[in-house]
Amino acid sequence: METQKCLHRRVLPCVLFLFWMIQVGTLQAQQVDILLKGGHVIDPKNKIDSRMDVAIVENKIVQVAPDIPITNAKKVIDVKGLYVTPGLIDMHVHVFMGNDLDAYIANGPTSVAPDGFTFRAGVTTVVDAGSSGWRNFRQLKEQTIDKAQTRVLALLNIVGTGMVGRFEEQDVNDMNPVMTAHMIKQLFPDIIVGIKAAHYWGDFTQVDRAVEAGKLADVPVMVDFGEHDPPNSIEALFMKHLRPGDIFTHTYSYGPTKRETVVDENGKVKPFIAEARKRGILFDVGHGGGAFSWRQAVPAMQQGFTPDVISTDLHIQSMNGGMKDLANVLSKFINMGMSLQDAIARATWAPANVINKKELGNLSVGTEADVAVFNVRKGDFGFVDVRGTKLKGTQKLEAELTIRAGKIVWDLNGVSAPAWDAK
Amino acid sequence: MSHSMNVFTAKTPRRKGTRGCYIKLLNESLRLCALAVKPFFPFPLHKTFFPTTKLTEILLMSLFFYLLTTFTHAQEIDLLLKNGHVIDPANNINARLDVAIAEGKIVKVATGIATDKAKKVVDVTGLYVCPGFIDIHTHVFVGSKPETFADGSLSLSPDDFTFRAGVTTVVDAGTSGWRNFPVFKDQVIDRSKTRILAFLNIAGAGMSGKPTQEDINDMDPAKASEAIQKYPDIIVGVKIGHYEGNLWTPFENAVAAADRSNVPLLVECHLPQYSLEDQLNRMRSGDIITHSFEKVSERMSVVDEQGNVRPFVKQAQKRGILFDVGHGGAGFWFSEAMPALQQGLTPNSFGTDLHRFSMNAGMKDMLNVMSKYLSMGMTKEDIIVRATWAPAKSIKRTDLGQLGEGAVADVAVLRLRSGDFGFVDAGGNKIEGKQKFEAELTIRAGKIVWDLNGISAVKFVK
Repeated sequence: METQKCLHRRVLPCVLFLFWMIQVGTLQAQQVDILLKGGHVIDPKNKIDSRMDVAIVENKIVQVAPDIPITNAKKVIDVKGLYVTPGLIDMHVHVFMGNDLDAYIANGPTSVAPDGFTFRAGVTTVVDAGSSGWRNFRQLKEQTIDKAQTRVLALLNIVGTGMVGRFEEQDVNDMNPVMTAHMIKQLFPDIIVGIKAAHYWGDFTQVDRAVEAGKLADVPVMVDFGEHDPPNSIEALFMKHLRPGDIFTHTYSYGPTKRETVVDENGKVKPFIAEARKRGILFDVGHGGGAFSWRQAVPAMQQGFTPDVISTDLHIQSMNGGMKDLANVLSKFINMGMSLQDAIARATWAPANVINKKELGNLSVGTEADVAVFNVRKGDFGFVDVRGTKLKGTQKLEAELTIRAGKIVWDLNGVSAPAWDAK
Repeated sequence: MSHSMNVFTAKTPRRKGTRGCYIKLLNESLRLCALAVKPFFPFPLHKTFFPTTKLTEILLMSLFFYLLTTFTHAQEIDLLLKNGHVIDPANNINARLDVAIAEGKIVKVATGIATDKAKKVVDVTGLYVCPGFIDIHTHVFVGSKPETFADGSLSLSPDDFTFRAGVTTVVDAGTSGWRNFPVFKDQVIDRSKTRILAFLNIAGAGMSGKPTQEDINDMDPAKASEAIQKYPDIIVGVKIGHYEGNLWTPFENAVAAADRSNVPLLVECHLPQYSLEDQLNRMRSGDIITHSFEKVSERMSVVDEQGNVRPFVKQAQKRGILFDVGHGGAGFWFSEAMPALQQGLTPNSFGTDLHRFSMNAGMKDMLNVMSKYLSMGMTKEDIIVRATWAPAKSIKRTDLGQLGEGAVADVAVLRLRSGDFGFVDAGGNKIEGKQKFEAELTIRAGKIVWDLNGISAVKFVK
């Protein structure tokens, strides 16, 4: 009895001490790897728009709060005066770069390698917009998706061979909804987030096939509706052929002979656009080398017709033109009067919802730490559309720091680096 | 014919040139000329007698053609860069001047070139106008072979990175050898907007990975110089690198190939068994060593532990060996570059060593590397020469890197930004600076290929 009591007296403190040790150990393991200190966080999903610190452990966000102590942090980065946002999602790019020199975008020279364009613009996720179809998606995966540091998702083209060339894209016999849906549902449900219909010269057949595949696979369809001569009615497209949640891209394109515009010749947004919106049709920018005109975008914005998603349509014909990168395209909208918060939302939480990837485009605790830090430059800037006309502006987004899965993948001015002569 | 049409249509604002218009204008000009010469002929010209009419006609025609050529000459400008500060080291120009471009060539660099003769005028007031930059160390033999430089995914597409940094010419640093150079040419060189030149790797298959890239039996100076002579407009030198053995045969073969074709040798990296001193001693005057300021285990650095440039390095510099930056992912350290610069070991060129692992790291692009040197204390003139004329001379391409009349119109227009900037080296260490170059406009063979803020664009009118 006596000895037992004694044992209790001795063991209990030991056990408690052990517990304490374990807890300290866990805390140390929970030590913050990167602490972004003093930045202005814009996280539309969580309705955060204020000065907050962001703590990252390994590849995850662990805390977003004011004044997180720096004592537990291995690396503290002072981001005062900068905006901290979820890593951007560029919902419309072409990254199926490859060696088939006769090909257009699928495994061809018109696509680009993503990593050279993404991180320097704060982008951590891109969605390849139908460069591949079910016949060559595996090659896109092997060549680009599995190799890139950027997270690459994809819309699968309804045409089996994707964007090999305009001619092949006309083959109705190669628009197979069942095979397209099978590839998405059975093989790659995590990577393929939707279906693309584009570059078709005929009637509504291609769109209808894409929607059929979309129904089978339960994913959205994105339509580039630009090469019908004469143009097909976009009202019919929005009200009859597409489903709520489907996406119209190249929204502000001005190519009146082959593509019906959203703004009429008198500068008025067409009346059925509001109804289409009500119906749930989503509008994507898809700037590209030929699909963004001030004469469409400016009146549309003035009349309240803003895009749901802001994206680039990155490829070799847009990369050095008026488009440049997603930060530049977002800056265009900011200079047309959109708030920084609204612009960020349209490249983070909005596209994450559209492609049904709600784990992306936000800074909720537990999500993968894809983060962008921006500086809003003030000065005299110019922004060019695809017709070579310019809109002047006073603000421009510049990506200071980009973090992908907890790793710093871009640091413009070395905000995360020590001084070279530091002892 | 289209030229003379333009000449006249440019003078008549009312309508576009057609054949009818041309003839009408011709007649009109002749009539005006006739009026002009009338006072010298006190008798009625056409009516008096036949020979005089003929004579008058000849006279009028010659006058007409004289005027025509004068107009044509004055009006040939496609693009006029107005009021910029021109820095053209090759021609000793460092002043506020206009630059006129026609048919892809520089036609005039002078003050006050008239704007009314130019089809397009771009106001570049407050900006620096320089020859398009030459990046003599890149890896652009891009292809789909995984984890490989030659025809692989570790190389990059040049156009993705060049124009946005004012670069118009890149030199590929031996990613290909004589065996796969034709593939490189077909796949990349012939299809890029950037001008691509190349150092040919002494290894037959270039940077094909181990073990093929180290096969001494495939380092054939005869085959290499044969390829150089076949493509003299593209291949500008020979490269040695990526050989981990201790035989000197690869190096000797590379020198032999360079000797045969009278081109420079580029000594790259990953030659761990060769001492730095031996490498420099075996190099000839005009040969280039790159990764000059690296601090890695496999090569002795140019600066010793006390921070002094090693005597044999100074000796090599005196002997005419050229030092290229070759920044890359591991090739540039402030701890080496800073004392080197202070002690006069300045780089001859700002090769970036652009590839997959340098593009998003401390390197970024050539303008960023140039801005580093600005922050390290080099003057902008000294920087521009090392981005243009110095590398052009080093690869014996004096047709490039300058804005002389008749030169190809490769032009970089820069803004010098002021603010608080930081620049990072390969070791992740930072230097701070107050200035940074930004490429506003890049012109390649007379065509605008980059325009950051639309300074060449027309204003959008609602």
